[in-house]
Amino acid sequence: MNVSITINGTVYERDIEPRMLLVHFIREELGLTGTNIGCDTSQCGACTIHMDGRSLKSCTCLAVQADGREITTIEGLADGDNLHPMQEAFWDNHGLQCGYCTPGMIMASTAFLKDNPHPTEEEIRHALEGNFCRCTGYQNIVKSIKAASEKMGG
Amino acid sequence: MIGQSMTRIDALGKVTGETPYPGDINLEGQLWLKMRFSDRAHARITAIDTSQAEALPGVVAVFTAKDVPVNEYGLVIKDQPVICGPGSDMPGSDIVRTYMDCVAVVVAETDAIAAKAVKLIDVTYEDLPAVFDMEAAMEDDAPQLHADSPNNIICHYRIRKGDMEAGWSQADVVVEGVYETGYQEHAYLQPEAGLGYIDEEGRVTVIVGGQWVHEDQEQIYHALGLPPEQVRVIYPAIGGAFGGREDMSVQIVLALAAWKLQRPVKTIWSREESILHHHKRHPMRIYSKWGATKDGKIVAAEAKVIGDAGAYNYTSNKVLGNTNLMVTGPYEIDNVHVDTYGVYTNNIPCGAFRGFGGPQGAFAAEAQMNKLAEALGMDPVEVRMKNVLREGSLLTVGTPLPKGVTIPQVVEACAEESYWRRGDGAWHLNRPPQPDNPALRRGIGFACGFKNVGFSFGFPEQNWATIELHGGAEIEEVIVRQAGADVGQGAHTVFVQMTAEAVGVPVEKVRLLTHDTAKTQTSGSSSASRMTFMSGNAIRGAAQQALQLWQDEERPAIATYQYKPPKTTPYHPETGESEPNFAYGYVAEAVEVEVDIETGHIHVIKVVCANDVGVAINPQQITGQIEGAIVQAQGYAIMEHLISNEGKIQNPFLSTYLIPTVLDVPTEVKSVVLELADPRGPWGARGMAEMPFIPLAPAITAAVHDATGVWFDEIPMTPDRVVTKLREHGIGIL
Repeated sequence: MNVSITINGTVYERDIEPRMLLVHFIREELGLTGTNIGCDTSQCGACTIHMDGRSLKSCTCLAVQADGREITTIEGLADGDNLHPMQEAFWDNHGLQCGYCTPGMIMASTAFLKDNPHPTEEEIRHALEGNFCRCTGYQNIVKSIKAASEKMGG
Repeated sequence: MIGQSMTRIDALGKVTGETPYPGDINLEGQLWLKMRFSDRAHARITAIDTSQAEALPGVVAVFTAKDVPVNEYGLVIKDQPVICGPGSDMPGSDIVRTYMDCVAVVVAETDAIAAKAVKLIDVTYEDLPAVFDMEAAMEDDAPQLHADSPNNIICHYRIRKGDMEAGWSQADVVVEGVYETGYQEHAYLQPEAGLGYIDEEGRVTVIVGGQWVHEDQEQIYHALGLPPEQVRVIYPAIGGAFGGREDMSVQIVLALAAWKLQRPVKTIWSREESILHHHKRHPMRIYSKWGATKDGKIVAAEAKVIGDAGAYNYTSNKVLGNTNLMVTGPYEIDNVHVDTYGVYTNNIPCGAFRGFGGPQGAFAAEAQMNKLAEALGMDPVEVRMKNVLREGSLLTVGTPLPKGVTIPQVVEACAEESYWRRGDGAWHLNRPPQPDNPALRRGIGFACGFKNVGFSFGFPEQNWATIELHGGAEIEEVIVRQAGADVGQGAHTVFVQMTAEAVGVPVEKVRLLTHDTAKTQTSGSSSASRMTFMSGNAIRGAAQQALQLWQDEERPAIATYQYKPPKTTPYHPETGESEPNFAYGYVAEAVEVEVDIETGHIHVIKVVCANDVGVAINPQQITGQIEGAIVQAQGYAIMEHLISNEGKIQNPFLSTYLIPTVLDVPTEVKSVVLELADPRGPWGARGMAEMPFIPLAPAITAAVHDATGVWFDEIPMTPDRVVTKLREHGIGIL
């Protein structure tokens, strides 16, 4: 099937198999490997991206369902050399260790802050329940998101 | 630079997604590899027909046992065939002993073709009797897995100290328990992946995630029958490890395929493949009996430990060695009798996992200690302070610990920073109020532990570093070569900090060369809480020598240093007498839980962890390790239930094997970082990353007992188990 998907501001037109998952389109067709695969069963959230500004686990979506949509991946979050405040916050607050969950965490939390720019710690925790981390114990991830929300005027 | 929370040197690439993990790297013309695994728990393969798979368009090659030059591997004992099946001259390699054995490898133009082809391989099995219970495996008539291990016993360690009869005769109280611990799956977020290829110098090269590049290299060249210099291993970023990448997964087969085909070959395991085909934390059954005088002094401790190694050794004989030492806790006891067995079964192999046998030992030891406190009517902190190891104390193996024994200070710090107050010369617990809801019961628990830093029991321990000082009048650039794996814990950041400190330059001048056997010498594995300790000493040694050369006007000034810590010795086969370790870390934890007696859910409200790290080289990374270890240990104690039925894992997905999410973790983790220098540690640093894992499960069972009056001697304490057990005691909805 022919699809036209905008990813990080660039329109990609491809002829793909209908069964192809969006995450495979992103990783294999486009070589954007910042979006990670951690579980294959939609638990871990390592593949979280934005579709039309909303966060989405890209393993739960067929690439054809993204036809005509706008996708942002972790590679498209920074404004050139200027990191997104969430990226800076994860860096500054030791919000990552192995880093494999980090792109998904950052994409999930940036979308969340759009809906709720002034979250409480508990709201942050609820927003992240679909993203697994095996290294940090989550404490510094929550701290990073809190710091980003404050920096962004939250 | 020591003591500063420098941000991670790898953070930029990780927050932008640019950092490649093993599955992210591609080479032109690469092929895809898929492994076919055993369909039986124990069987002889009488025939293997690969013709249909080979005939599938797009299939490039199918490799079976006959294609592996030296068809054996294993981190400690080479007891596992690389590929099981007929045609190999390695005795016994035609037998599969576990579902995770590999029976064939397919290489194809695409991943999808390879996946289709592995299913077309026709394997003829002749079933053999199998054994799945570790104690049944020790019986005389049990099926034998390996010819050289009668009764399937890999190792039997003994500790014989003092006079047991005299000890029991002094005991006013005796407590006994049978403790059962379950499997634990590492569940690092990045499933195994890798890329094999021939590098520009003709070396068989594997890009993969592991914990020790030089060990991976050794196992590859051994199996391929190649000289060491013809094999190279490179790690890109590694998506977590926790001991689970210490053994081989995709390394050897990728190397084999790339070498045979002289083309790049890639593979990425699914989560299911990862859970089904790498080792686990050992389930153990521990029989324990301790006696104490009425004033709280332990006078006798007896234990029998059986650990299910699964079908191959991996690091089982080392893991069980640790449990043997730790099953009587960080206490000085005059009369001790311990027998510890590692046993082959047809279950999935078990091996290294954060704590390395320590958590199982501590689960039994600390439960025994808490039960003793109850039996004596003493406070659990108070009774510990009467028994903890101190400077000069003799271990159960008859020798003193290395200097810098700080478990008394650690226990006191944890008590003071949590729920205890000292008064009238004794320790007193201040319990927080109970919730209004009668279904919710709160309780407090305490446990402590110790853990070796570095390889134990005579294993050759070493770490190499090279420091290059470049510049003219002043040092402009420092290159440090240090192979140690950054599995996510932040080792590379600490290498840079320690190099800057040792040379006396800002961190900006330091460049690290690492993760590549072609550029570094061995560092040993990122395990045993050893990397900061070992690499720090090597970096310090190399820096001192390089600075001397710099003063002598050498440009560049280059020095290589091998750090070797004081020798350790193995257990005496009859008495266990030994000098087991050259360094230790000490830890204590207090836990507050809330048990829902109707649903069986255990909510960990707060954990206070006191951990002596010697010197906190990077405080933020230290607390990161404490917080991460606690959550992983909480999963071990409560949630993570890997179910094996006749050797087959029943829940190989993160949808069915549940690890803690952000909503499961303690509401508060309080890290109490003690800095009581280890005289042998670099700048005084101790290893610390495993320690917070060790006492958590028994601290939680103690807290659950405090809340409900019921002892849980089996983990994980899943809600169904909790409800069942509470009902047996007349608690909950009956």
